[in-house]
Amino acid sequence: MNIIFTVCFCLSVLALTFFSPEKTLSTLLSGGEKALELSLNLIVVYTVWLGIFSIFEKSNLSNKFAKLFKPVNKLLFGNLSEKENEYISLNISANMLGMSGATTPMGIKSILELEKRKNSDYRISMFFVLNATSIQLIPTSVIALRSSLGAINPSDIIIPTILTTMLSCVIGIILVKIFIKR
Amino acid sequence: MSAYFIPILFIAIFLYAIIKKVKPYDAFIEGAKSSVPFVLSVFPYLTAILILTELLQISGVGSLLEKILSPIFNLFGIPTELSKLVLIKPFSGSGSLAVLSEIYSKYGVDGYLARCASAIYGSSETVFYVASVYFATAKSKPPIKAIAISLIASFISFCFACLICKIL
Repeated sequence: MNIIFTVCFCLSVLALTFFSPEKTLSTLLSGGEKALELSLNLIVVYTVWLGIFSIFEKSNLSNKFAKLFKPVNKLLFGNLSEKENEYISLNISANMLGMSGATTPMGIKSILELEKRKNSDYRISMFFVLNATSIQLIPTSVIALRSSLGAINPSDIIIPTILTTMLSCVIGIILVKIFIKR
Repeated sequence: MSAYFIPILFIAIFLYAIIKKVKPYDAFIEGAKSSVPFVLSVFPYLTAILILTELLQISGVGSLLEKILSPIFNLFGIPTELSKLVLIKPFSGSGSLAVLSEIYSKYGVDGYLARCASAIYGSSETVFYVASVYFATAKSKPPIKAIAISLIASFISFCFACLICKIL
């Protein structure tokens, strides 16, 4: 991250120095403003989802639900503790259903849970790749945008999207299994 | 159909909680409390990544990269018109949504380019966003190998999307 950040930052600022030096600071600040806007939005979304999840968790329903995922998780991650399995299952199912507000809080909880154990590199990497390659089943936001723009058949991208997302997920899983030691 | 899913799910969660003698209001508040500290801890990471996106766009380095990389993307079957989307997708969700709408308004919403762009947008995640936000409160750092793997897997699937949209 340090290398990417430094290289992109310095190159861009260098370019700005030549073409429009007066824009340098305002660009940094407008990036910050976008982050603030996004954060305010996220506070609202996460408050709602973390609240609902807390009910889900306290009634032990999420625990029961997560048991369904145990065989698949075992295949991908190896042995998981009960809490690890629970958070990972919730994150993955929220991902699949496209409930993007719910995925991040569960994702962070999963990482915190995963890093408690030693030699968690493989499990954390697998979890990260599953999230970063996205396993959304129905691209709701794209369909909504297309239908608002008057597409003839806005949902005709569902099948290509599902196939594409499955492919990226499978490639990701295989690469993790090959390149990251358990 | 899918519109019914969320309300029914929520009712089920509340009903089950009542049966299990959990107090829904107290439980909701307890969970909801953690959202503000949580977003606060994520904020610096979000800012860093959005500043970077903004810098790349405004300075013109982004479009330069686009010019350099689009012939390479072409080799893999990704049309030049979509290289901006491919480049911005790993960094910013809102940025790539803006690029997607731009593609729709420029090239129409039903054509090959629009469908291909939709598949690319819908099938991938903002990799660097996930890397910075998921690890914001964690002690460990995002594993660099896993980031590389995610980017490679996404890129291969983008090529596949451009191919499959020609057939389907």
